Order: sequence, then structure tokens, then C-alpha cells
Amino acid sequence: MKIGIPRGMNYYNYYPFWHGFFTWLGIEPVLSAKTTKKTISDGSRIVVPETCLPVKIYMGHVLDLIDNKKIDVLYIPSHQSIAPKIYNCSKIRGLPDLVRNVVKRNFLLIEPTLDKSEKNQGLYQYLYDSVAPLGITDKKLIKKASKAGWECQNKFNAMLRSGMNLNDAIDKIIKGDFSVETQEEKKKYSVNVAVISHGYNLYDNRVSMGIFDKLEKLDAKAYAPENLSVEQMEKGYSVLDTTLYWANENEMTGAAGYYMVDNNIDGIITLTSFGCGPDSIMIERITRFARRYNKPLLNLTVDEHTGEAGFITRLEAFTDMLLRRKRETIIKSLSKQFGEQKEQKLSQNQTVS
Amino acid sequence: MPKSESEKERIISFPQMGSLYIPVCAALEAMGAKITLPPPNNKKTLSIGARYSPESICLPYKLNLGNYIQALEQGANTIIMFQAPGTCRLGNYAKIAELKLKELGYDFEMIVFDLYKGKFKEIIKKFNRATGNKSVAKALKGIKIGLAKFNALDKIERELLYLRPREIISGEAQKTYIKGRMLIQQAKTVEEASQAVNQTMLEYKKIIIDKSKDVLKIFLTGEFFVLLDTFVNMDIEKELGILGVEVDRQIMLSEWASQTLIPKWLRKKETHKERCVKTAKKYLTRIVGGECVESVGDAVYAAEKKVDGVIHVAPFNCIPEIISQCILPQVSKKEHIPVISLLMDEHTGKAGLITRLEAFVDLMRRNKQQQTANLALSGSV
Repeated sequence: MKIGIPRGMNYYNYYPFWHGFFTWLGIEPVLSAKTTKKTISDGSRIVVPETCLPVKIYMGHVLDLIDNKKIDVLYIPSHQSIAPKIYNCSKIRGLPDLVRNVVKRNFLLIEPTLDKSEKNQGLYQYLYDSVAPLGITDKKLIKKASKAGWECQNKFNAMLRSGMNLNDAIDKIIKGDFSVETQEEKKKYSVNVAVISHGYNLYDNRVSMGIFDKLEKLDAKAYAPENLSVEQMEKGYSVLDTTLYWANENEMTGAAGYYMVDNNIDGIITLTSFGCGPDSIMIERITRFARRYNKPLLNLTVDEHTGEAGFITRLEAFTDMLLRRKRETIIKSLSKQFGEQKEQKLSQNQTVS
Repeated sequence: MPKSESEKERIISFPQMGSLYIPVCAALEAMGAKITLPPPNNKKTLSIGARYSPESICLPYKLNLGNYIQALEQGANTIIMFQAPGTCRLGNYAKIAELKLKELGYDFEMIVFDLYKGKFKEIIKKFNRATGNKSVAKALKGIKIGLAKFNALDKIERELLYLRPREIISGEAQKTYIKGRMLIQQAKTVEEASQAVNQTMLEYKKIIIDKSKDVLKIFLTGEFFVLLDTFVNMDIEKELGILGVEVDRQIMLSEWASQTLIPKWLRKKETHKERCVKTAKKYLTRIVGGECVESVGDAVYAAEKKVDGVIHVAPFNCIPEIISQCILPQVSKKEHIPVISLLMDEHTGKAGLITRLEAFVDLMRRNKQQQTANLALSGSV
């Protein structure tokens, strides 16, 4: 039995869990191909233009699964809320409804709902709804499968915390590998940059234009929200003087707050897709506090028309600026030290003479 | 609370939204508060608000912020924000507005009515805090008159919506309505409010209407703020009235107020939202925040009721309404009902809006003619 999972939105956060869960139950998860120009244009065609880029891409992946991979069972979950009164963005909440209405093909839609604000929409109900349409209704079996899912997810998280790229980590999970990035092969970088964005923007190379490779070329070490633990991100909220409101706010506000006061980080880059509702508010807050903490910040907004050349220019300018700023502070502190030593020597000499 | 603060006289203000200010003012005044009202939403409000807002935030926030700034300039020192149980960016409004206004150097206190928590109790508690009122009786009296005014306003508004497309001399009903609204605003007690309604109804009777006129009927639905504020929706109801279309607006102030205020077990009638959740089931099975489920549900309900068309209005970039925009074409196709989505932002021009409305009305009219022709044909055979 095969189940199609589009490579978009929540895939970047929860795929390892789904992978472990479904394979344990003998269901083969099939992923759509990586995002291409065609994915975006196909997806954009079926939704209204105001829709944000990630949702358009998601629709493109859904079409890819049905048309090219010939999959007729699609797994499109709705994550309503992850904790009481902490809701997701409407578009994530209504993703299955959106797909049902705009994708005019014949397929079986599996649409479980995870809603922690409601009494009986918890994780096990969600998992039950995930496989019940496929004929698996044994609750004990599902519980065991969920353990397999958690195992994968935990491995995945551990790999991310060690600094591994998310896409590499998912590949390893699919192969059944597990390894942690060692700290020994540490290369000296001239600047350290935190890149703040949602997983579905950051690790989709079409959207982020391979920002990690580009920064690597510019001799800048990139830190991602995924490298932080939940506790670290929660610390970030107090820095930005706010509380959790959106379900996926951790990776934005939380991570930005944490990196904002991290002296190791020279600057922050935020990457958002045009028209993202929650981000418009989070970015506003991050920008305001970056000014207060005197942290260099670059806001990048992408949509389906963003050109790569402009993107590179801005990255180059930003890293150049960071480097110059860093050099200046070093020179200043050195000259201060040097000046003090000189004065000390002078005064010593005077006392001797 | 430190003494100096309680001694300082509070001057309250709150954001403008259509005629919401009439009942809210009444409730606050009955509790002994001093109020300063910002001017009704206008171009200046919007441009002030837009200047200090994040770029891609939705229109209601920009207007609210503009209202606050204008009110604070007028000398308000306490501002109220309503946070209704719709989970979109609205829940963030108070937080960012407070931060921005403090940054701009205003000194004030912000009281947020969080309707997530126990609704009725929260309202009384916050009203008391805002007005410095201690007695529960007074608070209840305030809320009573507020609700009475909500109902009074809706009554005269419904009549206006009926009369507008049918009147012979265009604009008469509107004049009477504005007079009636003034009367309701001036009313001090519940009795006076109902008297004002009666008087207005009598005035309405004097207007000559063409009862046999073939009037198209549409449902107006969509985002709450845009529906209720005539500046934002560019008086779409009036424009439609002139085109000879009777508008059945799906969200009325009083319904909304009772829906949010009155606890479930006290209600007898099915609320608007419950109805929408039921009718939208075929297309939208989840509540995704905002008024998405209402928009979709209303469109389906309109088809059930054999209404001529549905006009869906929303502010540009409203998260939940983007979903309903994606779903509505499907509803239109399957339920055989014309649906148009109109998006409002600070740059929308009125001329363009009217052109689109005219085209839509033409379409509905032709649709109707064809239907009656088909009926006549099938009848003769």
C-alpha cells in the first residue's frame, strides 16, 4: 500500500514521524519530487493569487503526486492547534479543505485533524484518523506504530540539534541511518549569521535559493532555528517581550530572540514569503527589537518572481557589512587595550625615572 | 493600584467600526465613563494608521491604529480593544498596537476585552475596570441599554435594506435612517430607544415605494469589519440599493453581540455561526478562524434559499478569507449560484468597484431572466 505525502509545509517538521509511523504499519510513504519551477506554476494556477508561496508550492506537490507519481491516496493532515489556544495559521488549518476544493482529480484524501484545544482531537485520535481510511483500526497497533514514529522524530531532532542540515537529516531517516555532526571539523568562518524562517521556506531550495550554500561561499556560517532546542527558543520569547501566539512561532520569534542576545551571532537574516500573515507581525517585532539590541538585521521577502541575482547582491552586501562591523569592533577594542597598555607603561616609566 | 492613577480621571476611547460606537457609548456612559470618540473612519485615519503599521498587515488593524492615534491626540488616556473569539491576526492587534503607540510616546492604558475567557463575566469585569464603576447593578444596566441599542439599530437598518432598492425617490430611506440613528444615539433609556425605533418606522412608512418592482436579492457576506464599516466597504449596500438590489447582510451587529455575549445554554435559536458550520460541511469541514466558515456557509445557504447571488467582501491579505476565496468558486459551480469576491485595501478605487458591481448585477439579472424563461418553456410543454 502506498500513501502520497506532498513535500511541503509540515513535511519539513514532521516527516520523520510519519515515515516511522507508516513504514511500521507496512504502508509505503511516497514523496513528491523536489520543488521545481513547474511545481510552483502548476500550484499557482489552481489557487487565488493572494495565496502565499508555500501553499502554492504545496498544491504543486499535490498535483505532482497525482499526475506524475500516479498516487491516489494522499495524506494531508490539518494541524489546528498544538496546545490549548495556540492555533496555527488558517492556511495550515484548512489545508485539506483547500486541497479538496481546488484539486479537481480523483483521489482518496486522508485528512486527520490534530486539535489540542478540543477534548477528543488529540494525537491518538489524529493517528487513528490517519490510517482508519486504509483499513487499519487496531488501536494497540497504532499505538505501537506511533512509538516507531517518535523514535524517528527523536533521532531527527538530535541530528538537527547537532547542526546538520534538515534535508540531510531527513535523507538519513529515510535510509535508516543515524549520525551526529561532530564539532571537530569546525572551520573558522569570518562571520556568523542566524537565518530565521519557517522550515518550509528555508529548506526548500527553490524558495530560499540555496541560502545555506550561498552563505557558505561568502564565508559565513549559518545558524538555523532547527539547531536550537525548544527550551532555548522559549528563552527567546522573554528577550522579545512576548508570548507564544501562533503554533509555528517558535522557529521565528523564539529563535530570533535567542540569537538576538547571542554574542556569537553577528547578524540575523529573516526570510519570509510574500503575504505571510503571521510573519508580518513577527517580523515587525523582530525588527523593532533588533534596533533596540543593535543587532544587524536583513529582511528578505520572496515570492514566485524573486530573482536570484538580487538575492545574492543583498546577501553579499549584508555579509560585507557584518565583516566590516566586526573588524571595526575588534580594532576598537584592540586599540583601547593597546592604548591602556601604553599608558600603563608610560606611567610605570615615569615612576621609575 | 497606586492612588495617583485612580485619582486621574479616565477618558476612554475605542476603535470605530460602523455604528458600533452607539451601543458601546451607551453602555459605557451608563456606567459613568467619560468618552472621547475618534472621528468615523476616513481617509486620514487610514493614512495615519498605514504609516505606523507593518506593511502587509490587514486593513482593520491600520484603521484601528489610526483611530487610537486620533483619540489619543484628542486627550484619551484609556483605550479599549475588543478581542473576539476568532483566531486570526486579530488576537495580536492589541499587543502590537500597544507597543507601537508606546513607542510613539503616548501615555495611556490599554484594556483588552478578551472574549476567549468566560465571556459575560469578562465583559463586566473589564467594563468596571475601564469605568471605575463598582456596582454590578449599574454594570448590568449599562449592558442592557447597550444591547437594546444594538437591537434598535438593526431593526431600522433591516428596514432600510428593504426600502432602498424599492423607493421611488432615491436617497429618502437613507435620510430617514440617519435621522433614526441620531435618535437612537440620543436615547437615554431602553424605552426611549424603542420609541426612537417606532418613530423611525413611522417615517419609513411615508416613503413611497414600488412594491411590484422586480428586485434582485443577494446575500452579502465576508469579513466582519469590512461588512459593518461603511467606509471600508465603500457603502456597497447603498450602491447595490441604487442598482435595484436588495441586500441581505448576513452578519448584523445585534446577532453578533448576542452570539458572543449570551452563553450557549441560554440561547434558543440556532446562531448564525452554527448554521454556517452546518451548511458549509460539504466544502469546509473545519473551523479555520476568522469568518471563513461563515463566508462559505452563507454561500451554500444562499443557494438553498434560491437567492440571486452572493457578494463576498474581505480585506486584502486576510488569512482566513483567502481560503474562502479559494473555495467559493467551487461552491458557485456546484450550487449554481453567482459569487463574486471583492477585496478592499487602502488603494481600492470606488469607480472600479462600481463597475464590477454593475457587471455582476447584469449577470444575475440575465441569469434570472433565463431561469424564468426556462420555467415558462417547461410549463408550456
